[in-house]
Amino acid sequence: MKKTVARIGDRRLPLSNLDKDLYPSFGFTKAHILEYYRRISPHILPHLHGRALTLKRYPDGAQAPFFFEKRCPGYRPDWVKTAQVRESDGGLMTVCLVNDLDTLMWVENLASLELHVPLARAATPGTPDSMVFDLDPGEGADILDCARVAFMLRDVLSDLKLTCFPKTSGKKGLHVYVPLNRNETTFDETRKFSKTVAEVLQHNYPLMVTSSMSNELRKKKVFINWSQNGASNTTVCVYSLRASEKPTVSSPVTWQELETLAGHGDPAKVQFIFSEVIDRTEKDGDLFKDLLTIKQKLPYL
Amino acid sequence: MALQSIWTGTISFSLVAIPVQLVKAVLPGRVSFRMLHAKDYSPLSREMFCPDEEKIVPSDEIVRGFEIGPEKYIVVTDEELESLSPERSRSIEIVDFIDSDDVDPVYYDRPYYLVPSKSGEKAYGLLVEVMRRTNKAGIAKFVFGEREYLVLVRVTSGALCLVTLHYSDEILSDTGVATEKEGAVSEEKDRMVKTIRDMKAAFKPEKYTNERKRKIVSLLGKKAKKQAPVEAPVIGEETPEGPGDLVAVLQESMRKLKATK
Amino acid sequence: MAVRAIWKGYVHFGSFDVPVKLHTAVREQRVQFHLLHGRDHVRLRQQMVCIHEKVPVPSEEQIRGFELEEGKFIIVDDEELDRIEPEDSRAIEVHEFVKTGQIDPVYLERLYYLGPDVVSPGYDALLEALLEEGLEGICTWTMRKRSYVGTLGARGRVLRLGTLRYSDEVVPAGSLDLPDIELSDRELKAGIDLVNQLSGQFQPENFENEHQKKLQELIDKKASGEKISILRPKRRKATAPDKLLETLEASLKKVV
Repeated sequence: MKKTVARIGDRRLPLSNLDKDLYPSFGFTKAHILEYYRRISPHILPHLHGRALTLKRYPDGAQAPFFFEKRCPGYRPDWVKTAQVRESDGGLMTVCLVNDLDTLMWVENLASLELHVPLARAATPGTPDSMVFDLDPGEGADILDCARVAFMLRDVLSDLKLTCFPKTSGKKGLHVYVPLNRNETTFDETRKFSKTVAEVLQHNYPLMVTSSMSNELRKKKVFINWSQNGASNTTVCVYSLRASEKPTVSSPVTWQELETLAGHGDPAKVQFIFSEVIDRTEKDGDLFKDLLTIKQKLPYL
Repeated sequence: MALQSIWTGTISFSLVAIPVQLVKAVLPGRVSFRMLHAKDYSPLSREMFCPDEEKIVPSDEIVRGFEIGPEKYIVVTDEELESLSPERSRSIEIVDFIDSDDVDPVYYDRPYYLVPSKSGEKAYGLLVEVMRRTNKAGIAKFVFGEREYLVLVRVTSGALCLVTLHYSDEILSDTGVATEKEGAVSEEKDRMVKTIRDMKAAFKPEKYTNERKRKIVSLLGKKAKKQAPVEAPVIGEETPEGPGDLVAVLQESMRKLKATK
Repeated sequence: MAVRAIWKGYVHFGSFDVPVKLHTAVREQRVQFHLLHGRDHVRLRQQMVCIHEKVPVPSEEQIRGFELEEGKFIIVDDEELDRIEPEDSRAIEVHEFVKTGQIDPVYLERLYYLGPDVVSPGYDALLEALLEEGLEGICTWTMRKRSYVGTLGARGRVLRLGTLRYSDEVVPAGSLDLPDIELSDRELKAGIDLVNQLSGQFQPENFENEHQKKLQELIDKKASGEKISILRPKRRKATAPDKLLETLEASLKKVV
């Protein structure tokens, strides 16, 4: 195994297999991945901060088998911050917190292309900072259909005086986030609220929307996955790379931009790769930063 | 083109077993219509219906039965069907290689393709290349769904094409159809040969287009320009549950949304 | 077995007209199953059902729509479709002749026997001309309000008409995206030797539909209340890519 030792601040981090091509059809190596995360770190770190990271590791590349690792590996350097979280069976589990660049680099050296985090911070596991609607196109539907549903969601939520922010999933769908940032809102509440919204949309547009998991019922429709709003669920973090053919990123978009992009009628236009995301953040900063600060209360519960 | 596999297993000859998937080689090229209810243009779907209870029967309540007497059935499960030839339901075993054009096309039923599964690419490539060079095709039997098929595995443009064959007892004899004896008048035949040679060409399937499809598409185009399409009613399948006030507010907001559309 | 004619017409090409009769060549024999309601074994029937109200809709209340976009349809009635249907004709029009065996079998749909209608020297002349030239005709015809494209071939003492699929219904093998594989001479040679050793002649009579018999036995057993033992499908272990040559060579030894 080829090793290189990187110096970050006063720490030395051994990096391995830097020239390994993890997106073979694109020619994107582990060195490129580390470089992408290094450059995006000012924007991604606030969204990872304090959250139990689920590693989704692709040691043989984005098209090869992957594995999830919720537990923070025992061979971690002693400076990696961790937290204890309670598992569904009651036991305690040690998880990694990616609070700084060094940890981000260490995690990426493990080929964890994708970074998945829960909606709540490890210190306050019962109260999510945001609510998410994961819009996933079924067979025969695409990201443009997701955009149509996202606009409806935006309009309905705006009638309820709720602000929301869209991002691409980096794969085929869109995620719509509603900032909460109040320590009182529980997962029970976000679940109940998001489920009701999904069902009302399905009721009114049954040919376009489904809130059912069943693959059969999802054909040609957009599945509004509200059940991501759970204490043990994780969603791909904003700015995370995705394991697909190209190094796509789960990227924030403004509503106006989404309307323009979707208006072209080409699903490929509503997709961003790493270099576009770097350029965008250099120009506009983090379009998702308000997600971390806007305080909102879910009404009518 | 992403083709859905309809079966996975192995294709084997002697000791070599290649992991493969079966995909369809024929797709509906027809213009597909949707049946609607005349009164309100609600789309219809084809369902299995119980005439006694007058209700739709979900697929998990449906079983397969063989009629042994009036309204008397023997139920046969998928597992029981697979048990009939357990060695053939996940494996296509080539028992014979034959000359490619040895099979009378009257035996051909439906074509499929076999594509290699993970780590089967090399052995698949070898079988294709060997069959191409020797101009051979394989004969095999395998069980798929309710039936056991006799199949021909041949090479088409670098791919393994699997054609299901009819069994010999399904082929009707042509003896009643044939002419009694060789009776061609040579002059007539010579004149025909001349015309036939003049009309010789290479087969180009794209040359023969589906006229009916073309006409339907043009009819639809004309109609779409002349008249607005009808709209199916939008009715949810279930009334949403959830906090009453929230549902009411959301419904009101949906109503507004539809009005501005 | 005598086969009844199902259609009459004539083959036309150049200045020739050959009167023919069409006969079925294949009669499928299968165990026929029915779909039943699991709990009471009532035989189910297919029914068009309104997706909203979940009630059956009788055929006279059904209309045909083409979906332009989500929930929006252009209605097309039977009369409009009828007007599109081709005029019936008796001519099987041959457009060109191609080398026999040149057509990829994925295009072949169904074969029919084509017998002489009235005794005519043309039938025999055509049959023999095609056999001698090794050619088959590509033809179009209209039968029972449907247009067909097909082949006119000869085998033994009988002409045959085959229906072909349209090219937009066929998945071209080239679209399967198969990888290019490097093979060593040794692997190829072992493969060719093995295939040659396993070669024989195709004798369709040797392949019986054993499954059909086993199925009948299974039904008889169940009817008499016998218990059926379930066998798990057997899977074969795939040959690892690096064991291919070894396996081919072992196979060769086994055959010899």
